[in-house]
Amino acid sequence: MLALNNLIQNEMMKLLAKKRLVIIGIIVGILVLMFTYAQFKQVEEQQKKLGTVDWRAALQQQIIDTQNRLSSNRMLDEWREQLEVGLKQQQYYLDNDINPSEPGAATFTRMFLENAIDLFIPLLIMIVASDLVSSENSQGTIKLLLTRPVKRWKILMSKYVTLLLSVSIIVAMTALLSYLLSGLVFGYQGWAAPVITGFELNGSDVDVSQVRLVEQWKFLMMDLGLVWLVAVVIGTLSFMLSVLVRSTPAGMGIMLAALISGAILNNMVSSWESAKYFFMVNLKLTTYISGSAPPIEGMTLLSSVITLLVWWLLALIVSFTAFTRKDVY
Amino acid sequence: MKQVTLSVKDLKKKIGDREIIKGIDFELKEGEVFGFLGPNGAGKTTTIRMLVGLIKPSSGSIKICGYDVRKDFTKAMQHMGCIVENPELYPFLSGWDNLLHFARMLPNVGKQRITEVVELVGLQARIHDKVKTYSLGMRQRLGIAQAMLNSPKLLILDEPTNGLDPAGIREMRQFIRKLAEEEGMSVLVSSHLLGEIQQLCDRVAIIKSGEIIQTDTVESLLATQERILWRVEPLQKGVEILGGFTEVIVDQTYIITAYDELETPEWNAALNRAGVKVHEMNRKLPGLEELFLQVTGGGGAGIE
Amino acid sequence: MNKPKVLVTTIVSACVGLFFLFCLGWAILDHYGKKTSDLGGKEAPPINKDLPNDFTVVALGDSLTRGTGDESGKGYVGLVLEDLESEYNHKPLFHNLGINGQVSKELVQQVKQTEVRRQIKAADVILLTIGGNDLFQKGQTLIDYDSQVITESQKEYVENLDEIFKNINQVNDKATIFLLGLYNPFIGLDEDLDTNRIVRDWNNETAEVVADYKNAIFVPTFDLFQLSVKDYLYSDNFHPNKKGYRLIADRVAPLIKWEDETQ
Repeated sequence: MLALNNLIQNEMMKLLAKKRLVIIGIIVGILVLMFTYAQFKQVEEQQKKLGTVDWRAALQQQIIDTQNRLSSNRMLDEWREQLEVGLKQQQYYLDNDINPSEPGAATFTRMFLENAIDLFIPLLIMIVASDLVSSENSQGTIKLLLTRPVKRWKILMSKYVTLLLSVSIIVAMTALLSYLLSGLVFGYQGWAAPVITGFELNGSDVDVSQVRLVEQWKFLMMDLGLVWLVAVVIGTLSFMLSVLVRSTPAGMGIMLAALISGAILNNMVSSWESAKYFFMVNLKLTTYISGSAPPIEGMTLLSSVITLLVWWLLALIVSFTAFTRKDVY
Repeated sequence: MKQVTLSVKDLKKKIGDREIIKGIDFELKEGEVFGFLGPNGAGKTTTIRMLVGLIKPSSGSIKICGYDVRKDFTKAMQHMGCIVENPELYPFLSGWDNLLHFARMLPNVGKQRITEVVELVGLQARIHDKVKTYSLGMRQRLGIAQAMLNSPKLLILDEPTNGLDPAGIREMRQFIRKLAEEEGMSVLVSSHLLGEIQQLCDRVAIIKSGEIIQTDTVESLLATQERILWRVEPLQKGVEILGGFTEVIVDQTYIITAYDELETPEWNAALNRAGVKVHEMNRKLPGLEELFLQVTGGGGAGIE
Repeated sequence: MNKPKVLVTTIVSACVGLFFLFCLGWAILDHYGKKTSDLGGKEAPPINKDLPNDFTVVALGDSLTRGTGDESGKGYVGLVLEDLESEYNHKPLFHNLGINGQVSKELVQQVKQTEVRRQIKAADVILLTIGGNDLFQKGQTLIDYDSQVITESQKEYVENLDEIFKNINQVNDKATIFLLGLYNPFIGLDEDLDTNRIVRDWNNETAEVVADYKNAIFVPTFDLFQLSVKDYLYSDNFHPNKKGYRLIADRVAPLIKWEDETQ
């Protein structure tokens, strides 16, 4: 029996030789630089608007305003808790001399990941995933692979493991690059800055009883975990298309259409409840922990994760069944 | 008794309702070069892909060195090397990395064996260059090197001379003969070029519309099908005279008849006697299409 | 393609992948599981410190310390201990040296006893109720109102109290002493609020004494019983009932803090 690690080594060798990861790195780098510049411009603009006013004075004023609101006795308890959490955050910024409108690289990375989770990162993953099997098809090398004394499922498994590995690399690379590059402008601080989390949505009500602050590095790690899950699921779906569709561009096209339709659906499906079973509506996992409303009422972190896992499992089953059975012409 | 390396029994493939391969039987023995001859679309490629496990047969059995391709896939494949159509290797890897890649998929094939096969096909000088810089001939040789990695008992080559220049074709031919004669390998070669098969193979199977029509040694097959082209003047008279001996086909300025070692000189004499000038007498191997026309008694030559 | 590069990339990405898997698990567990706030914890750090293993509470005084009037027998001391235990999952060591009907003069004697001194020495917190019997003399003083008698007993009481604190501090000046002020059990009977004035005066004098000792804290209880006193008094109309003790315990328990000795 031939060890799977030989096959994985082969796949990694091909992946690296194709320099796909380098290309992805360059794409990420360019985009991060663009967003960094945009953010920088925004900060500049904001400072111009505030005139000569020191941000510390402005923040102090905000804190006092919040405190005044808190002392009003007409305040609902749940609102009060939310305000108190916000107050702690503002106070932290002031105490640690962090300008909230001029975040450090850690904050930039977190915001970049949260915005990239439903479209940008899936696109990067697709570059690798949709190519893994169909490129062997279009090059004709599939015929060589499948006439070796190795079971077909093992060949596909080695490719899938390679996919998981490259998904991990890509997510890590995105995080690392956005931290390193944005740090050039914003500075590399902000790991310990507090971030609000713990919102729970019950129907249309926001349950803020669990709202609390966590340090940003913890929040960033949670974000990364969720981004990774989305990347794995998208990767697996593209992988399935790569098995089913002979040409790489066709597979990519289908996936792209799905992703874009997801982005559009997200804005208009709130009345179409069963749309929540589509994988592409469930991609914005980070919104659950950062506390924005999901596109469809009743969606929770768990329901989205389960939906994604179901799609993932189906894609795997379809991939392996199709690959081991199909005739190669 | 030489060992049987490949045995195919009643092999069939159906796609939907249509039967593409309608029951093929043949055997290959050790040290034998076997030609698989047929026009495009006759089922050659499908058959070969079933042999190497790329396509699942609907019924029938394929055994390589006694191992069934379907039941004992990995063992069967360990005794076989193949190039299916053009040797498509990874252009972005070097020749060496390509070989390393396929060696990793085989049990007990190390660097030493890779060096051996590189020497065998004479690629030492360029083996560390990227495959995309190789000429077609070099790719072909690298393809063979890759097929030889596991020291197979059976080598299956699908159109091995496709796209090669005449020198390359000759080189390839010599190489294949060497493998069969010196290493005792069985080689299955498919081609649509009769000339190639004639010079290369010990035995030939002719396939048409998914069936083997005839299996024979090359000599006896060709002997019956060889023909001669006459350019005579006047044409009409020549046709009359030759028509008296055998069947004639008129193709523009040529008359085509069958070739017969004993009779043809007599026909020539008869023409001379009748005062017909014979400008040209050209012994020709039949083209595949024509061979089919004759073997199958006319009808669409394997065009499906 | 060199082999190490492939191998290193494979291993690194596998590690990164496992790390992300861990992060994912964490994100989901954190969202649904136990919640810990990083900054909430910094709000009151001493409270979150574990109760020291040998944390000792000593209760001294009169029937209030004994818990007279509480049908469950715990009194405010028992309730305070329960609160501490439920907050820290750890029961402090405890000695109840209260004596029913004890007056300040008797307590002066008590704190001079060797065994009592030994226990006071080990204490981290000392809970003290005294003076009620000096003032009320089992209910007689205020009903048969005589300002002369009251002034005298108050003077005597203040001296005794000073003596008690001195004695305690001799053996242990680290322990925090919580002295509970008096409430007015007769507030419902009184119409011109004379008794209120007397008790208030008494409490003021007590607080003055307590103020001389920086490890002592005066805990008022007067206000607790000021409204609806009947709901909080036992059927003898003098001792607190279970609810009354609860009120007192709720006031005392949150005040109990300690310094970590290792710091």
